[in-house]
Amino acid sequence: MEQSATINGIIADLAQIAADPGRYASGWKARREGRVVGILPMNFPPEIVHAAGALPVLMQEDDAAITYGRSLLHEFYCGYTRSLVDQAATGKLAGYDGLFLVDHCVALLGAVDAVRFELPEMPVYLAQFMASMDEPTTRPQVGEQIAALRQRLGELCGVSISDAAIQHSIAAYNRNRGLLRKVYDLRRRGRIALGSRQMQVLIKSSMVMDVEEHTAILTKLVALFEAYPQVPEGQVRLHLSGHFCHAPRPELLDMIESCGVTVVDDDVFTGYRYIATDVPDGPDPVEALTQWYFDRNSNVPCSTRAQKTVDWEGYLVDSLKGSGAQGVVVLIAKFCEPHMLYYPELRKALHREGIPHLVVETEHEGLALEMLKTRVEALVEGIRRPRIATAQALA
Amino acid sequence: MSVITEATKPGQARTAPNANRLVSTRAGGKLVKDYWDNLFTARDRGATVVWYNGAAINPILQAAGVEWCHGEAFGARLAAMHLEQPAQLAGEAYGYINELCSYARTTLGCALLTKQEATAKIEMDGLPGVPDKEVLASRLPPPDLFVNAYAGCSTGQQWDEVSYRVFDKELPFFKVSYPLLWGNRPDAGYLRGEEWDNASKFVASQLHGLIEFLEHQTGNRFDWEGLRESMHYIKRAAQLRIEALELCKARPTPAVFWDWVASIAPINFLPGNQALVDYFAAVKAEIEDRLRDGVSSLPNERYRLAFDGIMNWNKVGWLANKFAEHDAAVVCGRYTHNSFWHEPQLIDEDDPILGMAQHYLLCPFNHSARNLAEQVLRDCETYGIDGIVFHATRTCRSATNGQLLLAKMAQARGMQTMFFEGDVADESFYKDEVLQNRLEAMLETIDVQRGR
Repeated sequence: MEQSATINGIIADLAQIAADPGRYASGWKARREGRVVGILPMNFPPEIVHAAGALPVLMQEDDAAITYGRSLLHEFYCGYTRSLVDQAATGKLAGYDGLFLVDHCVALLGAVDAVRFELPEMPVYLAQFMASMDEPTTRPQVGEQIAALRQRLGELCGVSISDAAIQHSIAAYNRNRGLLRKVYDLRRRGRIALGSRQMQVLIKSSMVMDVEEHTAILTKLVALFEAYPQVPEGQVRLHLSGHFCHAPRPELLDMIESCGVTVVDDDVFTGYRYIATDVPDGPDPVEALTQWYFDRNSNVPCSTRAQKTVDWEGYLVDSLKGSGAQGVVVLIAKFCEPHMLYYPELRKALHREGIPHLVVETEHEGLALEMLKTRVEALVEGIRRPRIATAQALA
Repeated sequence: MSVITEATKPGQARTAPNANRLVSTRAGGKLVKDYWDNLFTARDRGATVVWYNGAAINPILQAAGVEWCHGEAFGARLAAMHLEQPAQLAGEAYGYINELCSYARTTLGCALLTKQEATAKIEMDGLPGVPDKEVLASRLPPPDLFVNAYAGCSTGQQWDEVSYRVFDKELPFFKVSYPLLWGNRPDAGYLRGEEWDNASKFVASQLHGLIEFLEHQTGNRFDWEGLRESMHYIKRAAQLRIEALELCKARPTPAVFWDWVASIAPINFLPGNQALVDYFAAVKAEIEDRLRDGVSSLPNERYRLAFDGIMNWNKVGWLANKFAEHDAAVVCGRYTHNSFWHEPQLIDEDDPILGMAQHYLLCPFNHSARNLAEQVLRDCETYGIDGIVFHATRTCRSATNGQLLLAKMAQARGMQTMFFEGDVADESFYKDEVLQNRLEAMLETIDVQRGR
């Protein structure tokens, strides 16, 4: 019990940081006298910011209702982009020394342009990575953009970013991702009873914290997990899929698990998608970060990239086989175009494989949890029933 | 003031004069119909068909000896003819959510119907009354190749990635990628700065790659002389279009935004040839005649407005008359005036690739808000605009990016602005009462402003 309390205490501390990254960043800034750089999902390499001696903070959706941001971005944008703009409009980005992005999502670009308009003094830099992974022109273009990022971040932080510094940062982030993957592995194997809310805290905190500090905490936590395994209580094993860029609401995750469910795996951005891929070894760190961009999409395909040779649905079906998940909850952030476009391909594959699934659209302003609960219960019942029928037949 | 204060419902008789639309644009309608009718028979004629989205790469396809189907253009055509429903129903049955880009939903629905027609196997939830070949939405010839060339919109690229998958990932597919004209550097701006130069060269190099791809896939040697010839005609047509647009600085204006909307299809995807030049020469001549004869587009032009956003294809005629009823001449718009070969001086007829790449980058949705303001506010000044009407296009984030910022910048210059809700190809998002009320409010404010 004492170990369990220790684990819960560590996760509660991380949860506070994940819930208010700005506060953590201000504290870090005061302690370290360094720059704080906001980075945007989903493909930004935090290593390059870390190598400049700055704190990369992957910008999170804020819980606050959208107010002033409404006058800068239409209501038919996803909750993440609307929240980002609202945070800018309500003075919550004051502690950030710059905002950097590499992704080309049309909604995200509109939102960041609105932030730039609202905060004209804040350095905002787009190093757009081409999203078509098949054409030979993309790889050199991405390399050039990473080199440009290196230059611009060096100017912002008043340093020259050396190869050795980037390699040091790559090693630090690989270590952190490796530990988080270890937690995922324990979870898939049923060795820890770690809820989705807690899993999300581990990932979100890694997105906003000093990587070395986070790794030190995680090392302790993993040791506790390994020393004191716990068996999850839920009966039906599910996989959470989708939800790009920002985290699904913890209360939604709690509700799903309250229906007799253990979430054993996911491919959400604030989940396995974020930590699945390490930056490869190599003498040229810019080349290594370029390769990482391509490897990420090969490892966990994403419909924001255009690549003929990988399929998200194939990855999903295979990962279910690996984790033993019996069904999927597809979480679509409302107005997320790449997810809406690709969902029918996922659906086709899940139907073909006989895998039950449920689609849940999430919104920034509230969730009809009771109604959603009925739908999750129906999914769970549908999964249980054949098993009950089989057990009765065998008896 | 002849504003009608009671909201007029769609389908009801109007009580005020309609827009006096140009007659010459009807010829464009015939050219476009003939184009599609010919394309529908492509397979019967043994032609190679390319499905593409985004920029006007048709001169390259023309010189590669293939026939081309511009997905968005077909989606727009269906919506303009109120024939989009079968395609949208097919898309819905396949699993597309209605908040998804309605261009994508419509043309992916066409892809599903085309595939069903060709292979009789497609996974859709019981689609009621699956259309047969007589339904326009199901008449596209199946593709042999895909090319994506979508600037300014990530969805545009992703949608072709899905089209490729709808056709079982078996067809050759080439993608042209574009940097957004974002402006990281202080020297960045419209048609200037290092970023513009670099982006132009980057896209031009991909166009050469596209030509190699087409040569490889078709086995045809690329007809460079043919490309120069078609770009010669396109440049001439574009010049005539720009000259005609500029004639509308006149008060009252001889033609309005809705006339230019009717001329989008010809300049966007019809072959570069003498017929295209003749079409825009006729449009320009009609405008010159009107100026000479004192004929205006509206009988009582009282307000001069700009229209921002992509077209609401379901409502072109309706909107034209709606604004005419209020004596409001919509004189210019981002979609018509800042797009479609609108900087013809960039085209070097002997070596057209760079100028083509630059036009593709100049897609009106591939700009930062700062860049947009430079163009739109300049046009407002050029055309003597009193206010801007923003079409908040529900499912088109690329068209709505920057709109609220642009409105603030226009307001800072003392201009009036209004927003109305609608969509590019989904009628259900249009709310007539909202437009009516907001338009009346804006026009009244302009009157008050004038009275001060």
